[in-house]
Amino acid sequence: MKKRIIALVLASCMTMSLMACGGKTEEAAAPAEPATEEAAPAEEAAPAEEAAPAEEAAVDPSNGEIVDGKFVETRKITVEIYDRGNDGGSDPTNNMYTEYIKKGMLEDHNVEVEFVAVPRWTEVEQINNLLAAGDAPDICLTYDYPTIQTYANMGGVLDMSTYLADYKDMLPNLFNWLGDTNIYWNRDPQNGTVWAIEGKRAVTARINTFVRQDWLDQLGLQAPTTKAEFEAMLVAFRDNADTLLGADADKMVPYSISYDVGWRAATLIESFMDPAISGREYYVNGFDDRKFTENGTKEAVRLINKWYNDGLIWKDFALYGSGDATEDDMMKAGYVGAFTHNWDYPWRNGTDSIAANLVRMVGPDAKFVAIDPFEDSKGTHTKFITSSAGDRKIFFPSTNEEPVACMLYLDWISDPEHIQYLQLGDEGVTHTVVEEGVYASMAAEGEAIMNSGQNIDYTITCNGLNLATPESTLKSLAYSYAEADPADVANAYEIAMTDSRAERNVNVGAITAEEGMGPALSEKRDIVFDTAVVASVDEFDSIWDAGYEDYLSSGGQAIIDERTEKWIATFGDVAEQP
Amino acid sequence: MKASKTNIVAVQKKKSFGVYMKRYWQLYVLLALPLVYLLIFKYIPMVYIQIAFKDYSIVQSVWEMPWADNNGFEYFIKAFKNRDFLFALRNTLFLNLLDLFIGFPIPIIFALILNELVFKNFKRVVQTIAYMPHFLSWVIIYGLALQLFAPTNGLINMLLNNMGFESIPFLNESGHWVATYIFLGVWQSFGWNSIVYLAAIAGINPELYEAASVDGAGRFRKMWHITLPGIRSTIVVLLIMSLGNILGSGFDRPFALQNKLVMDVANVISTFVYKNGIKGLQFSLTTAVGFFQSIICVFFLLLANWISRRLGERGIW
Repeated sequence: MKKRIIALVLASCMTMSLMACGGKTEEAAAPAEPATEEAAPAEEAAPAEEAAPAEEAAVDPSNGEIVDGKFVETRKITVEIYDRGNDGGSDPTNNMYTEYIKKGMLEDHNVEVEFVAVPRWTEVEQINNLLAAGDAPDICLTYDYPTIQTYANMGGVLDMSTYLADYKDMLPNLFNWLGDTNIYWNRDPQNGTVWAIEGKRAVTARINTFVRQDWLDQLGLQAPTTKAEFEAMLVAFRDNADTLLGADADKMVPYSISYDVGWRAATLIESFMDPAISGREYYVNGFDDRKFTENGTKEAVRLINKWYNDGLIWKDFALYGSGDATEDDMMKAGYVGAFTHNWDYPWRNGTDSIAANLVRMVGPDAKFVAIDPFEDSKGTHTKFITSSAGDRKIFFPSTNEEPVACMLYLDWISDPEHIQYLQLGDEGVTHTVVEEGVYASMAAEGEAIMNSGQNIDYTITCNGLNLATPESTLKSLAYSYAEADPADVANAYEIAMTDSRAERNVNVGAITAEEGMGPALSEKRDIVFDTAVVASVDEFDSIWDAGYEDYLSSGGQAIIDERTEKWIATFGDVAEQP
Repeated sequence: MKASKTNIVAVQKKKSFGVYMKRYWQLYVLLALPLVYLLIFKYIPMVYIQIAFKDYSIVQSVWEMPWADNNGFEYFIKAFKNRDFLFALRNTLFLNLLDLFIGFPIPIIFALILNELVFKNFKRVVQTIAYMPHFLSWVIIYGLALQLFAPTNGLINMLLNNMGFESIPFLNESGHWVATYIFLGVWQSFGWNSIVYLAAIAGINPELYEAASVDGAGRFRKMWHITLPGIRSTIVVLLIMSLGNILGSGFDRPFALQNKLVMDVANVISTFVYKNGIKGLQFSLTTAVGFFQSIICVFFLLLANWISRRLGERGIW
């Protein structure tokens, strides 16, 4: 009897707990199901269906749905926001900046906004899961256009072109800020679809090389202006490790790179490229943003390989994955002599920046300054900077039921006033006023901490400082890093823009060979870069050539061929686009 | 005649099921829930194996997706044309076989040694320490490995350098990496895997040992003639299970331990699937790869079971 009772109790307990679990999963899955089922009809029907009222709206803006830019009935949209998981950061979906946006959107357009956090470093995977589950935010963004193209081919993305055309009058800020260039950047030349619009880079500077100014001073060296001088400087760092680091001499790293050699030696690689490279050659080899197949990359890596074998490069570089802090920690601790990175890298992250840590751990004189040491064959210092696009791409998944409200959101977030507030925050809390129109960032605390520099994660159409007037922006840029010397920042910006060459938009339609190949090819490229750098000098050629061959045969050549073909089909057999 | 016989069998079966049901219904009720769990989380998802034969779309239901070319086998053909997949297949087999040859006997040896220890407390301490790594995630183990084995900053290489030796490229040279991979795998799991053997050893009748002692058998004789035969069936069952996993390999171990310098040996099927399928959005291709992997695993499982039954063991069913 007892046994029976116990069994019954146990069984019912298990049932209950299972039911509880089952209930939850069902609930979670519920919104997904109709979405996936409806998706196919929605994809076909939505543009047509929505287009009709849209046209009406254009004719008669007061058709009852929207009056004075405000929805009559409150709409609800969800917006993707990167979660960077910073130490001491705030909840990216709920802080004083999100409150500002939510309040503004509700007042201006009667739209309720909810933020959906997506981890910054696994964004593509995460969005993937959300899309497959039908749970993707109404406004999605990613840096990776091929991903959007792949989703679009599966029918997972809304075509924005109708909304852009029909509601243009209601989106003045969006069109003013992005311009037709960025809005129609990805428009298909054949059928006019717009799967995504391009956020704009307010600051197009890209990469700089930095060196420890105090080490140069200590050894009586001048800042190098050529590769030969740069190499001599690295050798001097290596040979004087005892002087520079004392007891820590064995930790000396003259030049530091990461596993991502193509990025972390980008200016060096660019200096080996033909400065007269044609637009066509650049584009055809442009699938890989690390310039793996461009004309000079091999020779650049050969030089790095030589440096590696001479003990000038961090030996452990390939062992740490992306996002690992080990290398940054070495810079902060003062073991690194020189490195190449984002043009403002030493000053990012306020009190936790490399510059601030270096002062704390080494001394007040210790600092990194930008230099321009890699000359090209013409003697200039060509740097490929970003175009105004090339930042985040914003797209609406096909599960988006409020495309108009989302368009209004993009307009709202592109309003210069709103951008300025989000970038600067409150006076005395996140910035101080240096003089009229010149703002200096200060280290914020608690709620006011920005999870991303200048809140770029919220200003999704704008990356980089962009204040109400261009003069104000330029002057404030140097002051926009808390605890950084404005003169150093201004100098770094100037160097990063020296002999710069902006990328042009080449739109010849979707390249099908690129689909789904990004991650696999990037991985191959990194493997070739890394194994070639650590090869012995004699083996360098064979390792590079074998890896290069494998890259081409695994899809790289197909992309180059299709790009060439479509270039010729669109512009004719010419070297530059008209 | 035949018909009536089957009828009787059926009736008997029906009857016996009813009888058992009545007698042990509490146990069946308890069993029902795990079965429901298996059904929901293991069998229903198998519907999506279809993706391997279809052109995947993120927004369509799996039933609506169009069939792939070549009678649905487009992606299998693609996989076998993909050199990376073939390398991943080779690496998976190679690493798992090494794991089997080196990693399989060690827990048995460890259990035998532990069983011979006289001091109970010492035995317990050793056992607990040997378990511990099992509870560490591979990411943490890689962190430890970097601290110990990295070429310039690793403790062991720093010691070697101070004693005047060259650094050993534990992690950054393919051959050494394989050794490190296997070593870390064994280190992480041997303590935990020895539990089953220890339990089996505990079940051996102590009178056998006494009788052997009377006959003058020493420690090794007893180990060889009593302990090992006593746990033989356990060993066989575990061997079958590991053979069933010969193409399996978890994801976290190779993924956490690999780096760009050793990808020629470190890229295995699970990481290939992750990189191409989840990051590269080639779902059909990688489902095909995963499906192929499962089929091979089932094949090995059946084969191992068949062999063990031919050799007079019970197998796992």
